[in-house]
Amino acid sequence: MFENYQVNGIFDEMFEGTGQPRAHYQSVHSRLMSLGGEAFLRRRRMADLSFRNQGITFTVYSDATGVEKIFPFDLIPRIVPASEWMTIERGLEQRLTALNQFCNDIYHEQRILREGVIPAELIYSARMFRREMIGVGVPRGIYIHICGTDLIRDKAGNYLVLEDNGRTPSGVSYVLENRAVMKRVFPTLFGSYRVRAIEDYPHNLLQCLKYSAPKADIEPTVVVLTPGIYNSAYFEHSFLARQMGVELVEGRDLIVENNIVFMRTVAGLRRVDVIYRRVDDDFLDPLAFRPDSTLGVAGLMNAYRCGNVSLVNAVGTGVADDKAVYPYVPDMIRFYLNQEPILQNVPTYICSREEDRRYVLEHLHELVVKSTNESGGYGMLMGHQAPTAEREKFAAMIVQDPRNFIAQPVVELSQHPSLVEEHFEGRRVDLRPYILCGQKVVVMPGGLTRVALRRGSLVVNSSQGGGSKDTWVLEEMA
Amino acid sequence: MSELMLGEEVHVNLGGSRRQMLARAAESLYWLSRYVERSEHLARLIHENLQLLTDVGELAARVKHDLWQGILRMFGVDQLPEAQAVLAGTDEQVAQHMSAYMTFDAANAGSILSCIVNARENARSIRENISGEVWEDLNTLYWSLRGPDVGSRFEEAPLEVYRQVMNGSMLFQGLTDQTLAHSQGWLFMQLGKRLERLDITCRIIEVKFDILQRHEASLEPAERNIHWMSVLRSCASLEAYRRMHMGEMDAMRVGAFLVLEREFPRSIRACVHHAYDAVARISSSIRPGAPDQAERILGRLNTQLEYADAGEIGVEGFGGYVQKIRLSMAQAAASVKKIYFLH
Repeated sequence: MFENYQVNGIFDEMFEGTGQPRAHYQSVHSRLMSLGGEAFLRRRRMADLSFRNQGITFTVYSDATGVEKIFPFDLIPRIVPASEWMTIERGLEQRLTALNQFCNDIYHEQRILREGVIPAELIYSARMFRREMIGVGVPRGIYIHICGTDLIRDKAGNYLVLEDNGRTPSGVSYVLENRAVMKRVFPTLFGSYRVRAIEDYPHNLLQCLKYSAPKADIEPTVVVLTPGIYNSAYFEHSFLARQMGVELVEGRDLIVENNIVFMRTVAGLRRVDVIYRRVDDDFLDPLAFRPDSTLGVAGLMNAYRCGNVSLVNAVGTGVADDKAVYPYVPDMIRFYLNQEPILQNVPTYICSREEDRRYVLEHLHELVVKSTNESGGYGMLMGHQAPTAEREKFAAMIVQDPRNFIAQPVVELSQHPSLVEEHFEGRRVDLRPYILCGQKVVVMPGGLTRVALRRGSLVVNSSQGGGSKDTWVLEEMA
Repeated sequence: MSELMLGEEVHVNLGGSRRQMLARAAESLYWLSRYVERSEHLARLIHENLQLLTDVGELAARVKHDLWQGILRMFGVDQLPEAQAVLAGTDEQVAQHMSAYMTFDAANAGSILSCIVNARENARSIRENISGEVWEDLNTLYWSLRGPDVGSRFEEAPLEVYRQVMNGSMLFQGLTDQTLAHSQGWLFMQLGKRLERLDITCRIIEVKFDILQRHEASLEPAERNIHWMSVLRSCASLEAYRRMHMGEMDAMRVGAFLVLEREFPRSIRACVHHAYDAVARISSSIRPGAPDQAERILGRLNTQLEYADAGEIGVEGFGGYVQKIRLSMAQAAASVKKIYFLH
């Protein structure tokens, strides 16, 4: 199974440089060795069938019946020891606290701009900066209630933040479903570790949503707003609504009257207080944003600005996860919290800075270039792998619109064994933990470990052929 | 709407689990349930026809044609050119084309596959309103018709595929009863199921009684019995019928059983009773003491059937009698849509 396994000088989650399994992987390793390829494949089929029959799929809808695919699930768990997790947890808490203060500051006093820590121009030119939100108070001053932060590990095994997703991060339903399937398929192995539970996430999410209600004195009506069944993350929207026991609504189920949001029930209209919206800012309200949007609710923004309804996450948080703002997050932490960042960023060149741009254009062949407002692995150039023509195309785009690009040195993601045919090979992984900000900041102990299933690939996004694994954060040893 | 604008009052209405459901969700649950019920009837009718044709070796070509065409008539598609094309060819071809058209044809909105796809799409859009068990059953059913091996399974044993659909629907109903709270959503599912069953059972009686009447003279007594048995089997009622009646079968006895039998859960009377019960409970959960149009229509129908007399109906003919019931049912369904789904 592991006969020809290669570590290749990158950080391997399971093996030390000498080829010995790390202490916290010992049990998994010996179980895999004793199981054999055929038995392992059988378990994988079991897991796949379970995903299919439960309809845990993402859909490429091209005709009425749709082509449904299961999100490839990689059965070997990724294990994070308690000590490592402690650092991650503290680092994420610190980061989200700073990001929330940043949003609040940007839409109110703008101290961070006035004191010259971040150039004002960079913020005003951010596509996701919402002028409509200036001076608008949001309940409890929280903007990013739910954050998914992508972590990677460098050659030395240090965890680095690759990006923050502070708009509508998705994937948490897969974390919960992956865990459920793992417990079914590998009950004994799971039981042999002391894995921290993640099953209370929906409960914590509901608490967080209720905490953000416009008025504290009534039991708020919470809903999840989805673009509908054709959205690729629909499964998750429905999953979360079900887990929390709240209604899942579409734009057409809501109506705004006198700046109050109602949903249409069999008995007429009923007031809504908190909307966990999985619809982007642009599509929320055709009167305020894109007039061609049919996914949103006319008048929603006015109701929101009147303080009659809460939107989670708040409108305008995209300014905090703009890729050109990302390099300033460590400075935000110093500025707002007066602390040193616990988790480091990946070094980043901002193409709108002249000297950075010059460097980027001269070193395209060794950099990763990213468009500042794209996500999901789109609008990206892997300079060291791309053909010359592709590099030239990006060079021209950078010169044309430098604000829209950043560049980073290629970071070798850590690798983890994956089953390939009947043996194991190393595949690159990242980790997206989910952080909730309500009464306090709660980091889910675990997260989505995404795997680049193609050999040598550094891109883990599901839209680009990625899969996922269950992530086991271990309890501290007594 | 205006009284709901008063803010305070709105919140009083929200309390606890007695919340009013989304109109869209209610509509989806109602249709989900109707589509599953419809797929079950389709499967049973085709299954039954295939079986009948095997049972009665030699049958006049005219009768065979009428039997297949009857199914198309029941679902109101017999005038479509593609449906008529299905009925051309040798016996074997007709049976084959017919099963293909009404079973797997995704382009035919009335095929079993289309029903299951529609049921599943409706379920998907209100997933949080049903249980994991119900959803998984529906998915299993869906994959049993779409999986890569379905072609070979059908070729080998077509009846098995139909049984799978019927059992899938039965399991769906059992899981719905046992894993969902019997609140508004469940009541809308009950309403959908009973109205659909009522509609199709009426259609079966109208069409089958008509076919039998036309061919009765040309049939031997033994053959006649086989045909009546087939009518009962089409309504999943044969064994229940036999426990109550022995001897010859005829329009009077079979009609009285299918329309009026109190103790049989698939009779017209039972369907109307349960549909009325569901709509009355929905209506009173929204505006207690103020029956709406849908409740009134079904309430009257329920009373009419409660005191109906088989002898009187027999004189008029069961076909004509159930046709009137079916038209009232259509009015009730239109009211349900208007009152509950269009806000």
